[in-house]
Amino acid sequence: MNREPVLELASVGKAFGSLKVMEDVSLTITAGERHALIGPNGAGKSTLFNIISGMFPPTAGEIRLRGARISGLAPHEINRLGLSRSFQITNIFHRLSVFENLRIGVMARHGMRYGLFRPINRMRAVNDEAEAILERVRLTRRRDHSAGDLTYSEQRALEIGMTLATGADVILLDEPTAGMSREESDRAVELIREITEGKTLLVVEHDMSVVFSLCDRVSVLVYGKILATGTPDEIRNNAEVQEAYLGEEVA
Amino acid sequence: MLARIAAIALLLALLVAVPPFLGIGWQNAMTNMLIASLFAMAFNLLIGQAGLLSFGHAAFFGVGAFAALHLMGAIEDRVISFPTPLLPLAGAVAGFVIGAFAGYFATMRSGVYFALVTLAIAELLHSLAPHWDGMFGGEAGLSSMRMPWGGMTFGSPLEVYYLALCWTAVSILLLWAYTRTPFGRLTLALRDNEQRVRFMGYNAHTTKVIIFAISAMFSGIAGALLAVSNETANYTLFSTHVSAQVVLHTFVGGSTVFLGPAVGASIFTLFAFYVSEVTRTWLLYQGLIFVLVMLYVPQGIGGLVQAHIQHWSRLSWPELTRAYAVAAAVGACLAGAVVFLVEAFEVIFSTEYAAARRRLDGAWPPFELFGLEWQVFSPSTWIVPILLAAAGLLLLPGARRMLREAWDGVLERAEAERAAEPEPQLAGAVER
Repeated sequence: MNREPVLELASVGKAFGSLKVMEDVSLTITAGERHALIGPNGAGKSTLFNIISGMFPPTAGEIRLRGARISGLAPHEINRLGLSRSFQITNIFHRLSVFENLRIGVMARHGMRYGLFRPINRMRAVNDEAEAILERVRLTRRRDHSAGDLTYSEQRALEIGMTLATGADVILLDEPTAGMSREESDRAVELIREITEGKTLLVVEHDMSVVFSLCDRVSVLVYGKILATGTPDEIRNNAEVQEAYLGEEVA
Repeated sequence: MLARIAAIALLLALLVAVPPFLGIGWQNAMTNMLIASLFAMAFNLLIGQAGLLSFGHAAFFGVGAFAALHLMGAIEDRVISFPTPLLPLAGAVAGFVIGAFAGYFATMRSGVYFALVTLAIAELLHSLAPHWDGMFGGEAGLSSMRMPWGGMTFGSPLEVYYLALCWTAVSILLLWAYTRTPFGRLTLALRDNEQRVRFMGYNAHTTKVIIFAISAMFSGIAGALLAVSNETANYTLFSTHVSAQVVLHTFVGGSTVFLGPAVGASIFTLFAFYVSEVTRTWLLYQGLIFVLVMLYVPQGIGGLVQAHIQHWSRLSWPELTRAYAVAAAVGACLAGAVVFLVEAFEVIFSTEYAAARRRLDGAWPPFELFGLEWQVFSPSTWIVPILLAAAGLLLLPGARRMLREAWDGVLERAEAERAAEPEPQLAGAVER
C-alpha cells in the first residue's frame, strides 16, 4: 500500500470565543487508508469534520490535503481539491429525482458549474457517470423518484453516492449507519467498503462492530483531543481508551 | 409531450390570429398582458426555481424601460442607427448589468433578508429617479418615439403587439431551455439545499448572482417592451406597486408550474383592463381573488390545471362536474353578494352622492346600480345581497364536501396505482 500522507492535521484547534472545543489535534491519514474517528457524544467528531471540510476555519494549526494547505478555504474550494463529505443528518435535494441528486455532483466534477448553453440531456459522459454511481449505490430502481420519497436507509445510500459523485478521492462520512437496523447497517458497510476501494476514507462511527470490521486504523477523540490512534486491535487493548470510552462495550 | 406541443402551437396561433379582429383598446391590453407575462416568468426564475423571493423586481423592469427609452432617444436624434425591433436588447443589457450588481449584494443573504435588500434597492431607485433629470427625466419621466425601420412604421398598436409577442415567445422559450441546462438543474438544487450545493464544489454565491442577473435581464426585456409600447416612462415604474403586482401574478398563476406565472399575469391584466372600465373598486376585487387563491388553491391556477392533467385518466367526470357546478353556484352567489355590497357602499359613500344629498337637504335619494334604482332604506334593496349570501353560505359546506370527496377518490386511485407497482428493493441491498 502507498503510505504517502494524504490528509494531515497539524495541531488543529478551534475555539468559539473563549470556549475551546478542539485542542492540538494532530492526525495523518495515508493514501488508501480507511480511518475511523470514534469518541463519546460531544467529543467534537462532527466539529472536526466541519473544520476539515471548510464549514468553518480552525482557530489554530493547519490542515493539508496532499501537501496543500486547505484550512481557511471555502467548502467548494476544498471539494474541488478532492475532498468530499457526507452529513450526519441526511442532506440531499429532496424535490429532485434520485438521479438528479447524483448528477449535480457529477456536473461539478466535469466543470459544468455554469453550463448555460447546452442541454444537460446531451451530455453523455455526465449522464453515464451518474447512472454508474446510481448502480453502485444500488438505487437504479428508484432512479426517477423524488429523493424526499426514499426510505431512510435509501436516503443514506444516496447521501454516500452524492459524496462520491464529485469525484473526490478523500471521503469523509459522518455516521453513515446511524439509525439503521443491524441488517441495513451490514449492507451499508459492505457498500462503503466496495465504493471506497482505492480511495481514502475518514469515517465517524458509533457502532464499534462497524469500526472494527471496516477500518484499518482508529483514532479516539475525547473532549476535543486525540486520545489514541492505532489499529483496531491496539485501540481495543489500550487501557486508557477502555477507561475513557469503550468500557464494557468491547470487553 | 406531443399534446403539450400541440397545445402551445394552438395558443401561439390564437395569439397571432386573433388581435387583428380586436379593437385598439384590447390590442393594447393584449400587449400589456404579454409584457406582464414575461415579467412574471422572469421573476419566477428566482422564486419558483431558485427559491429566492424578491420584493423589488420593479427595479429591473424599470431599468429596462429607461434603457430602451435612452436608446430610442438616441435613434430619434440620429446619434446612432439601431433597428427598432431590437430595442429590447437595451433593456436586456441594462437589466443584466444592474441585476448582477444588485444581485451581488442581495444574494449575500437569503430568506427575509434577501427580500428586504431587494425591496430596499427598488425603493432606492424609486426615490432617486424623480431627482435625477438626466437619467430618469425627473418627475415627468422620459419620452421618445418609435422610429420606422425596415419598411415597418411601428405606428399602430398591432405592430407593437406583434413585436411584444415575438420577444415574449422567444424569451419564454429561452427560459424554458434554461431549465434543461446544467445550470438550470443546479438552480433547482440550490433551492432545495444550498449547503449541500456548496459542499459539492459549487460557489453558491456566484451561482445566485448569475441566476439573479438572468432574471433581471428578462425583467429588463419586459420593461423595455413597455417603454417601446408606451413611448414614455417615469419613476412610478420603480414603485412597490409594480414589485407587488409581479408577486401577485406569479402566485395566483402558480410558481411551481413553468407557465403558471404567465397564466396568472394574463388573467390579472385582462381582468384589470376589463373590470377597471366598469368599477373603481377593481383593485379590491383583485386583492380578494389573491387572498382566496392563496387560502384555498395555494399552488395557484397553474397548479390546479396541472393536477387535472396529471390525474386525467383517474378523474371521475360526472362526480367532478357536479361538484364544480355546485361550487360555481356558491361562488356566483357569494361573489354577487360581495359585489352588490361593495358597489352599493361605493355609491353611497361617494362625494357625488353626498353632494346629491346636500341638494336634497339631507334626504337619501335612490341610487343606481346595475341599471336599476335602489332605495337606501328599503328592505327590498338589502334583501338581494342577504339572499345571495344566505344561498351561498347554505350551499358552501355541501360544495366543499363534494369537492373533497371527488378529489379524495382521485387521489385514492392514484395511491392504489402506486401501491400496485413492484416494490422497489431496499437501498444498499446486496444482490447475491
